[in-house]
Parts: sequence; C-alpha cells; structure tokens
Amino acid sequence: MSKKKGVGLAAFDRRHLSSQQYADHGRIIHRQHIDELSTQLAIFQSLLAHFSNTHSAAIRSDPSFRAAFARMCTAIGVDPLASSSNRKGNFWAEMLGGSVNDFYFGLAVRVVEVCRATRAENGGLISVREVRERVEKGAGSLGGEVSEILIPGNYSDDILRAVKSLKPLGSGFAMVTIGKQQMIRSVPKELNTDQSTVLETIQILGYVTVSMLQANLGWERVRSQTVIDDLLADSLVWVDMQAEETEYWSPTFIHDGGG
Amino acid sequence: MTAPLSPADQPFTFPREYHFPPFFTRQRNAITYTAQCQKWSKLILDYCRAKRIWRLPLVDAIDGELFWNKSLNRRLSLADAREIIDVMKAKEGRAEWASKDKNVALVYWRNPEEWATVIGDWVEETAQRGTVLTLYELTEGDLSASQGMCWLFFNFLGDFGRRVGTDGSVVEFHGMDAEVLQKSLNVLVKRGKAQVFGNEDQQGVKFF
Repeated sequence: MSKKKGVGLAAFDRRHLSSQQYADHGRIIHRQHIDELSTQLAIFQSLLAHFSNTHSAAIRSDPSFRAAFARMCTAIGVDPLASSSNRKGNFWAEMLGGSVNDFYFGLAVRVVEVCRATRAENGGLISVREVRERVEKGAGSLGGEVSEILIPGNYSDDILRAVKSLKPLGSGFAMVTIGKQQMIRSVPKELNTDQSTVLETIQILGYVTVSMLQANLGWERVRSQTVIDDLLADSLVWVDMQAEETEYWSPTFIHDGGG
Repeated sequence: MTAPLSPADQPFTFPREYHFPPFFTRQRNAITYTAQCQKWSKLILDYCRAKRIWRLPLVDAIDGELFWNKSLNRRLSLADAREIIDVMKAKEGRAEWASKDKNVALVYWRNPEEWATVIGDWVEETAQRGTVLTLYELTEGDLSASQGMCWLFFNFLGDFGRRVGTDGSVVEFHGMDAEVLQKSLNVLVKRGKAQVFGNEDQQGVKFF
C-alpha cells in the first residue's frame, strides 16, 4: 500500500479532493487579482480624473497637448470617444465634464459641413489637409461652444478622431488612403482598384491623360478611358480640354494653388 | 481725378481655382458643373466689385485677364461665359443681359434692390431728404467732388479703410452705371422714397 503512488480505489477520492483544493486556491488567487486590479483601476481613474480636471483647459485649447493626451489614452487602451451605449454615461464625458467630447463632436460637425460644402466640387473625396485648412480658417467664426474650444492650431489628429466619432452614425464618412494622402470620403461609395490606382497616379502631377495611363500602367486604351469616364461620372475628376491631349485633374489641386 | 489710384488699375488677387486648368473648360458632369458655375459666379462678382465694373462687355472681356489666364494658357470660351452669366441671372439674380445679343451683361455684385438701400441710407446719412439732384450729380457731379475725395481717401486706406469705414457705402455708387442707377432708383420710387422726373438727357431725382 503506497500513499505516494496513490493506486487503488481510494486514490480517486484523493485526486478529487486535491483538484477541489487547487480550484479553491485558484479562486482565491483570482479574487485577490481582481481586488488588486480594481484598486489599481480606481486609483488610476481618480488620478486620470484629477489629471484631466487639472488640465481640461489645456486639453481643450492646445492641439499638441490634446494629441499627446489622446496618444496616452490609446497607449493605455482607453478610447476617448468610446460610445456610451453600455454605460450610464460616457466615461470621458464624466471625467472631463463633457468638454473633450464636445470638442470632438463640434469638430466633427465642422468636418461634415466642409465635406458637404465641397461635395459638388470634389465628388465627396477631400484631403484631410484641405479639411484642416478650411476648419482652421473658420475656427474664429464658429458659433457656440465650439468657437470657445477651437483655437488655431494643428488639427490633423483631431480631425481623424472626429471622423471616427462619426462612424456610429453610419453616415458613410470614412478615412481612405490614396497614395500618400489621407482623404475623407463622405459619399458611401467604394472605389475599385483601377479607380484608386488612377487617383494615386493623379497625385503625382495633378492630372493624368489616357496615354499616360497606357504608358505607365500598361493598360489598354479602352480600360484607361473607362476608368476615367467612371471617375468623371462620380465627379471625382475635372476635365481640361485645352491641353494637347485631354487632361483629367484632381480637384484636390484647386487648393494647392500656384499656377 | 482718380486716375493714379483708380480701382481698375489695382491688381486683383485671383482665387486658387483660377490657377486650376480645368476651371476654364466647361465640365461635362452636371454636379461638377454646378460647382464650377458657383466658383465662376463668385469670381466674376468679386472681380467686378474690385474693379468697380457694373457693365461687363463680354466680347471684349473674354480677352481680358478675368477669363483668360495667360500664364496657364487657358481661357474660357465666349459661349461658356454666356452660359455662366445665364446661370448667374437665373439662379441668383446676380446678372442681367444689357443687350439681347448677350454681348453685354450687367453684373450685380449689388443688385438694384441692394443699391436702392445703399442710396437710401446715403440720403439719410447726409441729410439729403427733400433735395433734388440730377442723376449725373448723384454719381459723377458736384457731390462726387467730396465723394471723390472720400473715394480717394478710402482707396488710400485700401482694404483696411474700406472695412473700417462702416459708411464706406457712401462712396460705393460713385461712377455707377446709368442703367443700373435707373433700375435702383425705380426701386426707391416703388418704395416711395424717391421721385424721378425729367427727360432722357436731363433726369433728376428727389428724395423723400
């Protein structure tokens, strides 16, 4: 009879007993972890609340400070714009007295306005840079709370975040990257690969021609013309018929000025 | 008198779309064309306001800098320009044809209603109620001496002066086109603020 080896029928009971003990012990450790974590979380929350209260003015008014703050939030896995659906109120709205949220929603409204105002001109595809310029230009003339919050500065990061905050609305606002440029698309329309390629190519010189597409992409004439016609139909490009060969320009280049 | 500082000689800062080659080709896409028309309309109005042009002879103007960007080697065709004036007329009431052949357009950076208000306000501000003026006096004559001085002064101050001078409107109708003036005065007559009398050559106006 060997206790160590635990053979025989009694061993079943003992094994059952020990596994129960392990489980109990595990539960205890688990509970301890939870307690520790929730204490840490409480401390963290209060510290964060303290921080954001102390610095809420800076968060609201200083774009670079806000960007750093948002980066910190991302690093620790907190979404400043997390939707409030499963909570009584938005965590951040509580933390910051709503000011940061108001800031982003106010900015989002501006972005929507800019997109709508320029939709006829650019077919609903606008570069983040241009949105930023227009928002900054209008920063002084905003009504209500937003004007208090918006001071001139670099809003690129903020605009990206504001566009993300529009997502729950299902309004078709989305970020797309074409070539090296970040664009905001305000009409729910998917570009096919050929169209994206042409828009990318346009960014190099500001325009393309059918023969340029043929030479550089190795496309047949029909394919090149079809893609361009599609882009024209979606009012994403403007036509210039006074060049030697008809040129198709991206409206983005209206705002790059010069001549 | 105003020769050295005449607004017509001052360089006009063109908007960015003026340097965008397709701006000078009529866009085939209807939505894009709407945007294009809006931009042209704004450009034409801004240009005429800066140069104080009430009457735009399209046939000549089509060869001018407004419609022809020589550095880009792009120009708007006469037909396209006419179409844009038509849109300005139909959609916003910001233009009208002065001739049936569509060669000369009246450009309303202020329309007759707005001009009537400007003139009416000026009458109030300068206490001219009850006075009788000839149309010539109103825009070019005796009074325009002081207006002219004023105009010179505002010109001297440039944009700054024009913005600061809330009564900049006083000088705004100096040199106004006779046909636009006539239309504006007719509005004042309808409002019961003025009476126009006399014959073609020597018309006068009395303000109430």
